[in-house]
Amino acid sequence: MEKEILKIKEEILAKAKKIKDPKFLRDLETKYMGRKGEFTKILRSLSKLNDEDKKKVGRLANTVKREIALVFTELKNTLEGGEKGESFVDVTLPGIKMERGHKHPISLLTSDLEDIFTSMGFMVLDGPELESDFFNFEALNIPKTHPARDMQDTFYIDKPNKNGELDLVMRTQTSPVQIRAMREYGAPLKCVVPGRVFRNEAIDAVHDTTFDQFEGFMIGDDISLCNLIAVLKEMLSGVFKQEVKVRVRPGYFPFVEPGIEVDMSCTICGGSGCPSCKQVGWLEMIGAGMIHPKVLEYGGIDSKKYSGFAFGMGVTRLAMMKYGIDDIRLFNGSDMKFLKQF
Amino acid sequence: MYLSLDWLRDYVDFPKSLNPEDLGDKLTMHTVEIDSVEKQAEKFERIVLGKILAVKQHPNAERLQIAKVDIGSEKMDIVCGAPNIKQGQLVPVALLGAVLPNGMEIKQTKIRGEESNGMLCAEDEIGLGDGHSGIMILENGKIGQNFADYLKLKDVLFEVDNKSITNRPDLWGHFGMAREVNTFLDLKPNKSFTRINSLNVKNITPEKEVIKIEAKIENYDLCPRYMALAISNIKIEQSPEWIKKRLIAVGIRPINNIIDVGNYVMLDLGQPMHAFDFDFIASKKNEEGGEVRIVVRNAKPDEEMLTLDNENRKLNKETLLITDGKKPIAIAGVMGGENSGINNDTETIILESANFNDASIRKTSAFFGLRSESSQRFEKSLDPNLCEIALAKAVELIKKLCPEAKIASKVEDNKKFSLNQGPVIFELDWLEKFIGHDIKEERIIKILSKLGFGVEIKKEKDTKKSVVSVDIPTWRATKDISIKEDIAEEVARIYGYDNLNFEMPKVKIGVPKINKARVLEKRIRDILSAQSAATEVYNYSFVGEEQLKKMGIDYSNYIRLANPISQNHTMLRQGLSTNMIGSIMVNQARQKEIRLFEIGGIYINSDGNLDKDDKGEEKLPFQEKRVCLAVAEDKYADAHNNAKAIIGSLLETLDFKFNFLSVETASNWADQKTSAQIEIDKEIIGSINRVSKNVKNKVGLKKEAIICELSLNKLLDLIDKKGDLKYQEIAKYPRLIRDLAFVVNEKVLYNDIRDEIKNFHEYVKEVDLFDVYQGEKIGIGNKNLAFHVVYQAGKTLTSEEVDVIQKKLIKRLEERFEAKIRDY
Repeated sequence: MEKEILKIKEEILAKAKKIKDPKFLRDLETKYMGRKGEFTKILRSLSKLNDEDKKKVGRLANTVKREIALVFTELKNTLEGGEKGESFVDVTLPGIKMERGHKHPISLLTSDLEDIFTSMGFMVLDGPELESDFFNFEALNIPKTHPARDMQDTFYIDKPNKNGELDLVMRTQTSPVQIRAMREYGAPLKCVVPGRVFRNEAIDAVHDTTFDQFEGFMIGDDISLCNLIAVLKEMLSGVFKQEVKVRVRPGYFPFVEPGIEVDMSCTICGGSGCPSCKQVGWLEMIGAGMIHPKVLEYGGIDSKKYSGFAFGMGVTRLAMMKYGIDDIRLFNGSDMKFLKQF
Repeated sequence: MYLSLDWLRDYVDFPKSLNPEDLGDKLTMHTVEIDSVEKQAEKFERIVLGKILAVKQHPNAERLQIAKVDIGSEKMDIVCGAPNIKQGQLVPVALLGAVLPNGMEIKQTKIRGEESNGMLCAEDEIGLGDGHSGIMILENGKIGQNFADYLKLKDVLFEVDNKSITNRPDLWGHFGMAREVNTFLDLKPNKSFTRINSLNVKNITPEKEVIKIEAKIENYDLCPRYMALAISNIKIEQSPEWIKKRLIAVGIRPINNIIDVGNYVMLDLGQPMHAFDFDFIASKKNEEGGEVRIVVRNAKPDEEMLTLDNENRKLNKETLLITDGKKPIAIAGVMGGENSGINNDTETIILESANFNDASIRKTSAFFGLRSESSQRFEKSLDPNLCEIALAKAVELIKKLCPEAKIASKVEDNKKFSLNQGPVIFELDWLEKFIGHDIKEERIIKILSKLGFGVEIKKEKDTKKSVVSVDIPTWRATKDISIKEDIAEEVARIYGYDNLNFEMPKVKIGVPKINKARVLEKRIRDILSAQSAATEVYNYSFVGEEQLKKMGIDYSNYIRLANPISQNHTMLRQGLSTNMIGSIMVNQARQKEIRLFEIGGIYINSDGNLDKDDKGEEKLPFQEKRVCLAVAEDKYADAHNNAKAIIGSLLETLDFKFNFLSVETASNWADQKTSAQIEIDKEIIGSINRVSKNVKNKVGLKKEAIICELSLNKLLDLIDKKGDLKYQEIAKYPRLIRDLAFVVNEKVLYNDIRDEIKNFHEYVKEVDLFDVYQGEKIGIGNKNLAFHVVYQAGKTLTSEEVDVIQKKLIKRLEERFEAKIRDY
């Protein structure tokens, strides 16, 4: 019996090999494997065997049957050559066009930054864009007479208070959120604040009245200056997806002490000097420092017990560097030719 | 501010190996930001000395001449307009390719038909003065010599970013900078450096006391110190070359010896000086001298004065004045008066070296829009002790420049001030912890003492801890340094931030609190951009009158800017739609279908819920974030359907069930017939509007635009209310679906029909509209609606059961809406 099965297998396979037309293949299949086919007949005759043989021969018969079926399917596929009635398919044709939308480059970059910091355990906060003089200046150690107010030309809101003073502003920085966050959450605290800020500046290719910043701060026991620099390096590497060369130098911001500025090796010229970096090979990226004890106190945090760092940077500027954009007006200009590139 | 390397050399013995670029870098890394390092000679590149061989008249122009010039390597013709050139003169010649300080590039040209191969230069053209009366005539030079070599200009200039020294009153002169350089280069201060701090006025005694000066200060808060001294036998003339050269190098125009000395001292030490002509301010005069009575006081109401720049200025009561007892003779620290200044005939001067309050000077200079070299320095809170050093130095210089000059009065010195010189005390351990790096004790002491701090480190008996005690030098004590963090900065910056070991903070890790609003914003951004192919824009938060007027928006209650810089940006937006119309217009010429969105803030003129300050009584104006979607296409129906589809897909993706509701009145700019509100759970969360024809024409909008605005806060509240998703058991029994199509009057609202069907029977589980048709076939004023009605129950429904319900439903629709059922 077993020999018979193997013999018929060889017979079928030998015949199958010679077939060139699918029609003959079907005939062959019917002849052997069909309901009344020769191979089927043998299978039927298995019932006459005793239990032990039935098991043994049955296993073999099934294996052979599957083998033959596989050969037939393969042959069929080769002979029929794909779908019926299609002689040639241009596989390079595209599918139906699905329109895609685009996120604003600032949204993309801010989102990247948020991800980097949430992965380090920072909260993401927002704050009001129309802010009070108190939070935007006073509580950040910038009293009215402070020369630092020279640095920022501020949009004031035409709504005098009881004493006739203009004490509402379009926030010039995201830093007021530091104070609001300290008051709400206390220490220890780890936050980042993305958001829109405003300066009363004439608009040109490199200045706009409205741009975006990204602020971050961390307050806890024993937070040090070295921690700050380490976190900032981590951030820049995260944004630029590579190790970046930075230099740290003194800077002055009233709400930190000491204040530092972090420059990054120019991404455009690689540090050899070009118009983007004003020929110095370095780009000013981040203003930062250890939070001034007065600012901590304004935020209701015991400056004897806690220390903290803070940093801020222009996301708009960062976007210009990262994507090589040379005109800041494109960001608020709504031109889809620009926006569709992101 | 410019720093001259040559000037710094007075106080710093530079090692030979240090080149100017390295010094610039080191200044940036330790002290101040240096914007550029300029070699003076580079300014005069391709300018050489030439000898005029011959001068002839230009054939075609009466006022021009042609000079034949020998520059050594060649002889050339140059057309020149100045009348003062003669054969045999030595003159500066700008060769082809030279770029003059004013940016002019010398090119070969034909002037009135005659070739010109360069330019003969006047003083002003090469930045050496104001003279434009003629070409500079030079002496003792060699033909072909570089002009910079001829001038012996070998200085290097460092341009300091003034912003980086707003907190450093001590760095507004070369001496202060030299202290920094000596510290970070770790050099031993030279003799001329150490001599400065010992300068005083003890030895300045009248050689002939013919003038009595009395200075009265009304308010010592505004003027902590006023020093004055009379010097007679002055001869006003030009300063010697070495002073002029230094002043020009750092960008100050030389005027005459006395004024130049004042400027020199200011740039040297940082202390602004002023000189009055005794004759104009004397309160009493006699043959030999007389009396001067200075009063430092605030201006009276309506007081006026003519300042040096020949402007008649109306003073306000906050203006601090120097007066001669009667009339104002200077706006203190800002600008002198026209009536009292030095002139060519001045013989006796009253030299002022004073200190003024930083805030007062700032206010005054802002009020007059006058930011002088002097006011810039006083604004930074100068050290009152500097007055004395500067006065001594000025006297020294004047004596050198005018050997005949005689001290004609005692030094008048009226002062009242106190400085907080510490000590600042902290544990050495704190410093290491705060910086995060172990800096050796000796190094700390060295850094601080070189900067002029007094340092002492002692072991405390009980705790065995090292305690640092730091005395602040006067020049850092006015404002700059007062707390231990300030001291930490001094140590860290001189040590070098780049020399620190950076280390990530050691903190407990934990999942941060989620900002739900921010997460929602992000999700909406994802959905609208990825799912609905919309493009995100950022528009300004500002709007302008003209735009709002065209849109018929009442802006009387809009929040206004007090100091707008553009007519289009005078108020704060109360919605995103106005600027969004502008965004469509930016793109309408080039894009066929426009789908834009924005997520941004609006600002309302009523109290919000955020505190305005730490008192908690007042609130900030209400602000919230909105989502705005705009769809603009050529055909209204397409735009409307697409906009609704996008909003639908957005809200459904956020797992909301929503309705469009008709409104009685929509916004003024919207088409009233087609505007609708969007409702979720009985709460209106936004609106969808078509820009009206009227507004379209007024603003120049070419497309049919649908604009939809949603409140992010309301969506957020609804998400909170909804809570987390819950799995519902999959229904065990099969659904039966019946289609239902009927014609109704077009005014019958879909919402009502849908609700009727939905609520008709408990077995009706879903009602899906799948077709709307309007057309002549079914009669004008009608519409055909087609629904899938899904029946399902807690058992297997039979076809017969459903048919019975469906029949009753049809009957109800016929009764309530006069619906005419169409058969399938």
